[in-house]
Amino acid sequence: MTDSTTTGAGKPLTRAAVYGLVSVALYFVLYLFEDSILAFTSRGGWYFIAPVTIAFVFSYVHGTFTGHFWDILGIKAKK
Amino acid sequence: MEIAANFIPLNALDVTYLLVVGFIGGLVSGFIGSGGAFVLTPAMMSMGVPGIVAVASNICHKFPKALVGAIKRARYGQVDVKLGIVLGISAEAGVIYGAHIQEDIKRTFGDSGSNLYVSVAFVVVLGIIGGYVLWDAWRVYRSGRAEADEEKVSRLARWVQSIHVPGTMMYFKSLDARISVLFTIPLGFATGMLAATIAVGGFIGVPAMHYVLGAPALMASATELVTAFVMGLGGTMKFSWSGLVDIRLAMIILAGSLFGIQLGAIGTTYVKPHTIKMVMGVIMVLVLLSRAIAIPVYLSELNLIGALDPHLSGALKNISFVVLIGALTAGAAIVFSALWRGISLHRREATPAGAPSAAFAPSTVTAPISPQLSPLGRFERFLVATDGSEYSAGAVREAINMAQKCGARVHVISVVASGAELESIGQPLLKKELDTAQAHLETVKAQAEASGIACETRLIHGSNIHQEVVNEAERMQADLVIMGRRGRHGLARLMVGDATVKTIGHAPCGVLVIPRAAALSGRHFVLASDGSRYADAAAVAAVNLAKYCHTPVTAVSVIMPSHSEERRKEAHSIVKRLVAFLRKEGVTAEGEVPLGQPDDMIVQTAQKKQADLIVMGSHGRTGLERILLGSTVERVLNRTNCAVLVVKTG
Repeated sequence: MTDSTTTGAGKPLTRAAVYGLVSVALYFVLYLFEDSILAFTSRGGWYFIAPVTIAFVFSYVHGTFTGHFWDILGIKAKK
Repeated sequence: MEIAANFIPLNALDVTYLLVVGFIGGLVSGFIGSGGAFVLTPAMMSMGVPGIVAVASNICHKFPKALVGAIKRARYGQVDVKLGIVLGISAEAGVIYGAHIQEDIKRTFGDSGSNLYVSVAFVVVLGIIGGYVLWDAWRVYRSGRAEADEEKVSRLARWVQSIHVPGTMMYFKSLDARISVLFTIPLGFATGMLAATIAVGGFIGVPAMHYVLGAPALMASATELVTAFVMGLGGTMKFSWSGLVDIRLAMIILAGSLFGIQLGAIGTTYVKPHTIKMVMGVIMVLVLLSRAIAIPVYLSELNLIGALDPHLSGALKNISFVVLIGALTAGAAIVFSALWRGISLHRREATPAGAPSAAFAPSTVTAPISPQLSPLGRFERFLVATDGSEYSAGAVREAINMAQKCGARVHVISVVASGAELESIGQPLLKKELDTAQAHLETVKAQAEASGIACETRLIHGSNIHQEVVNEAERMQADLVIMGRRGRHGLARLMVGDATVKTIGHAPCGVLVIPRAAALSGRHFVLASDGSRYADAAAVAAVNLAKYCHTPVTAVSVIMPSHSEERRKEAHSIVKRLVAFLRKEGVTAEGEVPLGQPDDMIVQTAQKKQADLIVMGSHGRTGLERILLGSTVERVLNRTNCAVLVVKTG
């Protein structure tokens, strides 16, 4: 475990940076087009797919970033 | 484009507030499977978000959060996806029915009636389940039971697993048993109903999986995340169909909660199952308190009691909200503290065995002191007894360090109990335990071999743990048995596990007892002597070890107030003799003759000198001698945090 922490530290850092940047970009887009996105996602009916899809996309990107974030801080699971 | 009337404008403070509450909520959810969301709806409502939009946005952040948490915990092997989905489907029905009841009550009795219903549901459900969960966690903590005991399937779950209804049976890996879906349907339904009522179905789902179905607490809390995902996805679809989800609120909360849920999930790998129950119980009871405080307000609004002063009514509502936030904060604080302690302890324990500390690793370690004809103080064959628990981790680590130092061979055994215990835990769990023990032995072997130590392992399945250890020590003619010690955090007096004490009483050789966080760094040794030949044997062992480590030794002979003058003089001469012997062997030595209770004084001297090892003699294996052992050695073991070497004359 110790070895992998030392030798593989570069890769999680890159991945964290990439996912972090994409995550920031997604939130920036949400902020920038706040009104349009809110109007589109709250139309109701079959437009229910929009908020669900947005939630999945954000959870994938931001979830991957937060996982790497704790990893590179050295907070890892015991096993 | 204008923001619809349902959606409020957000400022930087609102966003920060949601991020923080989301993080704490996520932390708790990642740890106990749910329980982080209940505070978000009132939190959003306090910002001016309409109730229905707050509920919709909360649920929309909940399902992706649960998904990320479930994936994370699945990597730790804690999730039973099938059970989560099966419960989730019936929970979905529960959510619909629960929401329908809510709407009926609201239509008939108005907002106050609806609030009263929610509060009473909180008080009744959380009072019964939360009280039980907290009591169970406390009971386990107080008894200091082993993890295997802690995770024993309850009597109710054994009954549920024994019922066979043809055509309805399903196998679940977390239970390692087939159960009828006739049991999962009402449990899932109740979980869903609670989720629709108080936003946290897991307060029923997790205890139900653990106590009623028989899933281990860790797996129950992880599997609940799958159920929460299924319920949350369904709920989001329902609310988005009506256009009620504020995607900004949901995604901002998600931003904070995904940090939290990852951390909470990591935290579960460092704690005992009872910590999960403790966090859940504490939150449930505090939430109950929060709701109970608000009940008079709703009763008054429904004219069921006299009208309350508006100030009192407002104060009660505020106090209730503060207690609600306090519940979440208390849960998060326990999670943080458990995580912090767990990681610190793990880092100490995981110090690579192949890189022993400098003090214990002099440059010349190649040649052991053998050939030594006398068995006294010989360290060539070590028997390490491990149960794979954290209590054995110190023993394994230090055994490898010592073996590397002394050039000793290491034989590692793990004894899995059988007999009556086998009956109680059942065949599948026993097999699981044997597999776990075997895997642990292989890990230890790999660790030892990586450190250049000759290591053999053996998995023993026996009814009497200490007897198996003693038999193995005799069979391999061990020079030293190395074992861990079970204890409790933060208590001055630590209770010694039976197996360790009995092994000391019956072992044909010395026994080195190593608490889990103790490290034999060779800082200072304390040699306790009563002048007997057993103590002299201890002195020989202490000299040999001190020479390996270049460690100073303090020889101690305790005198008690009741001792005669002659006995006091004798104690001084014992210490002088020991110091002379140690110095003659080239060991830096000093002597002390403290006055007081022997065990107290030995432990205090060790603390004062910051010793990492106490060396003592022991009498032997008969009943009378075991009673004697119980007097001083056992009390020293109970009180000290450092390693204790109990030397036997054979």
